[in-house]
Amino acid sequence: MRLIDTNAYLGHWAARRLRHNTPEGLLRLMDRAGIEQAWVSSASAIMYRNCHAGNEELHEALTGAAHQGRLIPFAVISPAYAGWERDLRWCVDTMGARGLRLYPAYHRYRLSDACCHELMQAAAELKLVVSVPQRVEDYRQRHWLIDAPDVGLNELAALVRSHPDTRFLVSNALGVSGSDFVTRRGDMPDNYWVDICRPDVVYGKDAIALIEALGPERIVFGSGIPFNYPEPAVVRMEVLQAQGYDVAAIGSGNARALLS
Amino acid sequence: MVIDAHAHVSWPGGTSSEETSWALDQAQIDAGDALGIDVFVCSCLAPRPSTPESFRAANDRMLAAIQRWPGRVWGYCYVNPGYSREALAEIERCLAHDDVVGVKLYNEYFFDDPVLRPVIEKCIELDVPILEHQGRCTDPLPGQPYISDAGHMARVAREYPEAKLIVGHIGGGGDWEWVIKATAEAPTLYADTSGSVVDEGLIEAAVARIGADRLLFACDGSHSAGVGKLRGARISEADRQAIASGNFLRLLGRSVA
Repeated sequence: MRLIDTNAYLGHWAARRLRHNTPEGLLRLMDRAGIEQAWVSSASAIMYRNCHAGNEELHEALTGAAHQGRLIPFAVISPAYAGWERDLRWCVDTMGARGLRLYPAYHRYRLSDACCHELMQAAAELKLVVSVPQRVEDYRQRHWLIDAPDVGLNELAALVRSHPDTRFLVSNALGVSGSDFVTRRGDMPDNYWVDICRPDVVYGKDAIALIEALGPERIVFGSGIPFNYPEPAVVRMEVLQAQGYDVAAIGSGNARALLS
Repeated sequence: MVIDAHAHVSWPGGTSSEETSWALDQAQIDAGDALGIDVFVCSCLAPRPSTPESFRAANDRMLAAIQRWPGRVWGYCYVNPGYSREALAEIERCLAHDDVVGVKLYNEYFFDDPVLRPVIEKCIELDVPILEHQGRCTDPLPGQPYISDAGHMARVAREYPEAKLIVGHIGGGGDWEWVIKATAEAPTLYADTSGSVVDEGLIEAAVARIGADRLLFACDGSHSAGVGKLRGARISEADRQAIASGNFLRLLGRSVA
């Protein structure tokens, strides 16, 4: 089974020591889990006030690494921070970013803010995938000084509806089946994909519900490495394969098409 | 062999129908088939705080599940220790069944509350483990003012070193690094690996600090998370097997299922 991990990081996280967070370490982690490519952004950028410094760190790390194109950079951009337009252009032109990751709760803006809509328009023009993690880590273990609630899925769905020419990835999320992404499917453009980092394929079967509701062509593989072990997501893929689902599409085909 | 040492069957008194709740329990068995989990050690939880009537009804459901899936489901007897006399009688009733292997306590009291002592002493007398719902969350959990953490349990473990105490779900949401360190401070405590949190390094940290011989594989309903993080842990195969079932069988004094 070929896997493209749409939810991966390099760098540091302020609340906990991460392992395998260098290109070399992440590649080893990917090799053991059978992941051929990962879309990576800077974990450090989530907590930096000037998140672009994290993009610069990511670029330096990738430039010095022998990864043979296996690590695809995503930029972390805060549209509430001065100069984001120039930073975005640098990420595309210099770093080769193929997408963005947004952390509105950490960077103190709302998805409904005008600046966020401007960024989404820019993403469409630059053909960047916009990945929005519902959370970075479980809120119950939040650091005492970090108070970042999960991204509201219906708020995100409203943003997705407003930008039909922008492609979105709903990442690291639970509860998508009960949100507007599914319950108002008829009102939603076909411009969003969902990763299976958290929804399970057994017992509650959230992932199965998503596949049935959205179609397998809208589901992508994501593990959250190196915050997470990759194996739980890999185990889900193995179960899907055993149950006859289109794991070629979910595991890598959909992601590859999304970037093409 | 793989034993999920922290599992549940559905409470039949909720809003779902009898058929729906059995279907959910069947889905857990199906999950075991898909993921290679041989045995689920299940409690059934009545709404908290439970009463003698409700915890008896919950345990009836647990016993029915054992009967429905013989060999696949073992049981924990759930009680509210605040009803001491009734709780002790219920423990005796349930533990008379061969496949009821321990006691489950939830969040009605902190684990070091003196009200628990009769239950703890009864479990020592019967030589069975107590699995405690446990978490060390940054913020108070709504509706769970008396949830215990591993620190509460470590205090009791030092007072009752002969007790077989299991710290529930170190990956159940909360500061698992704190829980691991607190658990390690009491050398008789066991901990289960269950919960939806799959933070890389969690299992290795627990093995390093607590010891592989005191960890129990478990899912608590997060099945691919539970299986995946044990598979992903960089530990020896001997340690992985011990965590998967060997430690729990040893804790129960059983050589095989």
